[in-house]
Amino acid sequence: MPTSQPLPPKEKNLFNRILKCYEQKQYRNGLKFAKQILSNPKFSEHGETLAMKGLTLNCTGKKEEAYELVKRGLKNDLKSHVCWHVYGLLQRSDKKYDEAIKCYRNALRWDKDNLHILRDLSMLQVHMRDLEGYRETRYKLLQLKPGQRASWIGYAISNHLLKDYTVAFKVLEEFGKTQQSQDAPYELGELLLYQNNVLREAENYQEALNHLEENKSKIVDKQFWLETKADLLLSLGKETEAEKIITDLLYRNPENHRYYQQLEAVLKPENEEERLQVYESVARVFPKADSPQLLPLTFTTGEKFKQLVDKLMRHQLKRGVPPLYTSLKPLYKDPAKVKVIEGLMEGYIENLEKSSKFAESDTTDEPPTTLLWARFYMAQHFDALKQHEKALNIIEQSLEHTPTLIELHAMKAKILKHLGDTAGAMASMDEAQSLDTADRFINCKCASYMIRNGMISEAEETASKFTRENVSVEEYLREMQCMWYEIECATSYAKSGQYGNALKKCHEVDRHFTEIIEDQFDFHQYCMRKMTLRAYVKMLKLEDSLRSHSFYFQAARIAIQVYLHLHDEPYKAGGGVTNDQDATMSSAELKKLRNKQRRQERKKAAAEEKRKQEQEKSGKRSRQQQQKNQKNEDEADAKKDVEFDPEKLASVADPLEQATKFLVPLQLHCSKRFDTHLFAFQIAERRGKLLVMLRSLLRCDELADAGDRAELHVCKVRFAKKVRDANGVASAVSDVISQFMPKLFGDVEIENFNLKFLEESKKSLLHLFAGCRSMHHLDNGRKEQATDMLLRYDDGPDNIPTLQTCEAILDSLKQKEFGELAEATMLQIREKFRAWHPRACVFAAAPEPVEEEPVLNGIDEHSNETQESGDSAVKTSKPHRKSEVSDQKNNNNNHSAETSALIENHCSHGD
Amino acid sequence: MDGEEDPQLQDKKKKHDTESAADLERVTDYAEEKEINLRDVGDVLANLGQTVNAQQAARERELAQVKISKEDVELIMSEMEITKIKAERVLRENKGNVVQALVTLVNS
Repeated sequence: MPTSQPLPPKEKNLFNRILKCYEQKQYRNGLKFAKQILSNPKFSEHGETLAMKGLTLNCTGKKEEAYELVKRGLKNDLKSHVCWHVYGLLQRSDKKYDEAIKCYRNALRWDKDNLHILRDLSMLQVHMRDLEGYRETRYKLLQLKPGQRASWIGYAISNHLLKDYTVAFKVLEEFGKTQQSQDAPYELGELLLYQNNVLREAENYQEALNHLEENKSKIVDKQFWLETKADLLLSLGKETEAEKIITDLLYRNPENHRYYQQLEAVLKPENEEERLQVYESVARVFPKADSPQLLPLTFTTGEKFKQLVDKLMRHQLKRGVPPLYTSLKPLYKDPAKVKVIEGLMEGYIENLEKSSKFAESDTTDEPPTTLLWARFYMAQHFDALKQHEKALNIIEQSLEHTPTLIELHAMKAKILKHLGDTAGAMASMDEAQSLDTADRFINCKCASYMIRNGMISEAEETASKFTRENVSVEEYLREMQCMWYEIECATSYAKSGQYGNALKKCHEVDRHFTEIIEDQFDFHQYCMRKMTLRAYVKMLKLEDSLRSHSFYFQAARIAIQVYLHLHDEPYKAGGGVTNDQDATMSSAELKKLRNKQRRQERKKAAAEEKRKQEQEKSGKRSRQQQQKNQKNEDEADAKKDVEFDPEKLASVADPLEQATKFLVPLQLHCSKRFDTHLFAFQIAERRGKLLVMLRSLLRCDELADAGDRAELHVCKVRFAKKVRDANGVASAVSDVISQFMPKLFGDVEIENFNLKFLEESKKSLLHLFAGCRSMHHLDNGRKEQATDMLLRYDDGPDNIPTLQTCEAILDSLKQKEFGELAEATMLQIREKFRAWHPRACVFAAAPEPVEEEPVLNGIDEHSNETQESGDSAVKTSKPHRKSEVSDQKNNNNNHSAETSALIENHCSHGD
Repeated sequence: MDGEEDPQLQDKKKKHDTESAADLERVTDYAEEKEINLRDVGDVLANLGQTVNAQQAARERELAQVKISKEDVELIMSEMEITKIKAERVLRENKGNVVQALVTLVNS
């Protein structure tokens, strides 16, 4: 040992006990031993002991003290591998991985064959995906310690990850020879399957098949063995043998759709009838299996389809299977099938109402629940076809008969949501929730509907029925990484202009992903020990593309949009509301909002206080238990991260940099999504990077669907204008741009390019609006013309714009897309939208002013109705006040009732 | 049921909480490595020479010889917002032609 401060035997012994205590997580005892050594004046500056004391303290959450001690220890004994190793471990626990690797390397300089250090180094390397370095370290470990399992496995994995399959296979083969199946049969089986995996990835199918056969008796996971064999036989074209295996598999589980695909691949049916026979033969053996009944619906047509779907629907309605619609949903891509289903279902309902039978010719009577489920299906059916009013009618009708069925209330809420009536939807979901407060699913749904209606504190209250006591809901859900909740909150905050809070939620989601990636660290060693290598390698691959998850995409979308907004209109501190909003808000409203905020804050403070008190109480009650939990708590403290501060987040100096941070993972993992490149364009536009704009534009162009074309057009025009207006562009850059211009625009001037687009967009408000925006962008003076075009939009029955389109347009007008608009114009536009979507809360006029508001001020209110509708919803949050909601709504809608009736007619005819 | 939950259910939940926490805790537990029969590792390892791709090395050498101008690298870095290493690489791959390099990047 190269340490400069050797200890005498007694102290040496104590020191070894510190090490042991650290390994076994007995931190208190470890500290005791450290104290024993350090209290001896001769060794009070002993480097290694100081370092170990620091490391142990770090595990009990005392980070600063730990750093101080470890650094002091290192200073006292720079030649000690222990001190360097400890410093590395400390840095690692602080997630400074690069620093940690450097420390390990220093430690190895003093003790180059130290197994502990090499092992820790290798784990960091695989964690950071330095695969070459990982292989090198594992090679060394294998040379030094061939007697250990982990040495072999680690070296094999490192080669596998580098796609060096031959070496990986040989190492595993050698290692396998030392393993006896009677010791740990499952582990050996896993090892063999992992080895087989390596062969298959190397596309050595024949060899893999032989290997599989040879080791059949040793492999415990029989199902996976069969599945692998079937895959291999199919890859090798041995269909007759494959058929036998697939049949075996179907006997094990007739509900696995993949087996059916494979069976079809083997049997190669030539037409619909033969294909159907495949499934019928399985159905004969397993008459109760759903899959052989359900899957043929996807490929049969005409009479045959009708016959099959008729049988299935009757059966499931009779049994009262609520998710029947979910099973049939994939068929809704085919309008002909939708028609058949609708016809059959209408027939059932008519007959069931008349005579409690599916068809008049039937002999048996159906129970009344059959009719109920048939209606429930019909409501889902019409909702899917966007005939929401019809769906709502059916649900109302069913609720009259069965007012206590949760599914009906939940469905009603969903339909109302689709109609834009967020307040009504919330009320219905709350009703559903109140019918079974022990149902967590419905509780979550209710919370989510409350957030959508802008009532986050109420949502917290609802969610609190299922969260742990003594912990605030927000904190608990964050700890549980409950991302849907955080994303809903972020959406709601962003909508109401509380950008700091929105960003806070987005960053929390982002942090969950970071945490998940960091959590893999513990498994590098664990999986090797437990021999769960297949799962381990799968996990590594999953972690590599973790941020392709849709939760990340949603959070990133909100964050990027908010940051772009903050770039355009920097946040001004004060009250959590931007000054921009203050300006458009009447003083009374502002007061109301401020009051509301203050109320919320007070409520929060009170809740916090209560929580603390409770904690103290329970603390006294169970001191003992607390002591037992001390260790866990210590660790929890150590892990607790700094909270994000909304105020700070909203007032960042470099919003575009921040937006880019969210964009990078999207570009890496979601490069096939239009929005990814749209965001890239929008960021580049603000940074004035023409070529990045061009690059993003080209990607957008490749990926855009019909709806995306609208936004794409706006981007194109903005790009062309920017190019035209740009000065001092490097010649290389303009060279590149001119190469691509014809591809994007043909030979037309931008103005004409836009005129042509406007001409083609008469039948879609979404595209028309894009054209108007472009026109206004090219010439600021044409805002009257732009709004005029919007107002003159031809609302034929087939061209009614969706709720989302209208909402987006209204939002963008409020964000001053066309600059300041006359209040009368805004009102007109909103009226027009309301005629199309009479139930939507966002377009509803504000309720009659209650406080000191003069009536004339009413117009002013319209310009920020989101706030208002939020307020009106507050008043009606309790379900028992539901009648009030509808009354109010009726009042609001009275003058547009005629129009809405007309629209409804259109809707139903249109479909 | 509302608000005040069934105490039994609560207990169960708590138990579940601590149990799963304990399971997680165990992942990082220290475990002694099991020894396996010592074998002659030298033989095995000798047969496992690591291959170096000769073709790739030749390509690298070829690229390193391409002359590139500092201004071009800087232009690419600033226009496409990429790192210096990446910018140089693209420029080399396009034989030092800055327009061609930019077109490649725009198309990528």
